[in-house]
Amino acid sequence: MTTSEVRSDIKGKLPRFSPNTDIIEKEDGFHIYMDMPGVDREDLIIDLKENDLEISARAQYPRMEGVSNVHLEFGDCEYSRSFTISDVVERENIKANLKNGVLEMFLPKAEKAKPRKIEIQAG
Amino acid sequence: MVIDFSSFYNLPRQLDKFFDDAWRPSMISQRRNAYPPVNISEDKSRIYVYSEIPGVDIEDVDITLSDGSLVIKGNRKHGKGSYYRQERPAGLFQRVVNLNVAINPDGVTAKMKDGVLEIVIPKADEAMPRKISIKAE
Repeated sequence: MTTSEVRSDIKGKLPRFSPNTDIIEKEDGFHIYMDMPGVDREDLIIDLKENDLEISARAQYPRMEGVSNVHLEFGDCEYSRSFTISDVVERENIKANLKNGVLEMFLPKAEKAKPRKIEIQAG
Repeated sequence: MVIDFSSFYNLPRQLDKFFDDAWRPSMISQRRNAYPPVNISEDKSRIYVYSEIPGVDIEDVDITLSDGSLVIKGNRKHGKGSYYRQERPAGLFQRVVNLNVAINPDGVTAKMKDGVLEIVIPKADEAMPRKISIKAE
């Protein structure tokens, strides 16, 4: 109990950012790209609760001994962002991939929601 | 007469504290001013430059050292499709870091991990602090 409180206290001290996100719709589904530099796979949590997709992560840089910081523009931080996904998305097949500090998520469209050509019959 | 200099002597420490506060990551104000953001640190023999460049392979980053400055250049490509939201910066970027010390250009190393570029630049021998031994006669 106490440790979790301490942890949340430490957590609260980190600046929190909403990561830059691209959402692209393609024919097969939605592709979400999120910039999360410095985030390791272990520090990334993706939660899907009904219609809410919640992403939270933490970037931590190793402390270096005997080094003086001349100029700093980024540092340890937390990323958090949530999306509401529509019924069109097939929940079972959501894929996520973290590469080079970018989280890439693929939300496939359900078969019935994919665009379909309607054939016109000449009669 | 006693003059209390304590506040005067404390000033450097106060200044240090002010800058420490200003440089704490939570107080970073210029986070989005220049792209890509860089961190610069140094120790006695090396300069460390870190830069957040997520989604770019190290092969696509062009690092050049010329005339006392380090230039980080690259291109962030973006995918095709219909965009619902585009917040991630895309396109060509360049950042110049001025190095005010003599460096050893042969020993520069660069690597990328989790979207963070790390460049280690060794200082030239003449820029390293040196102990001068004093001979007692």
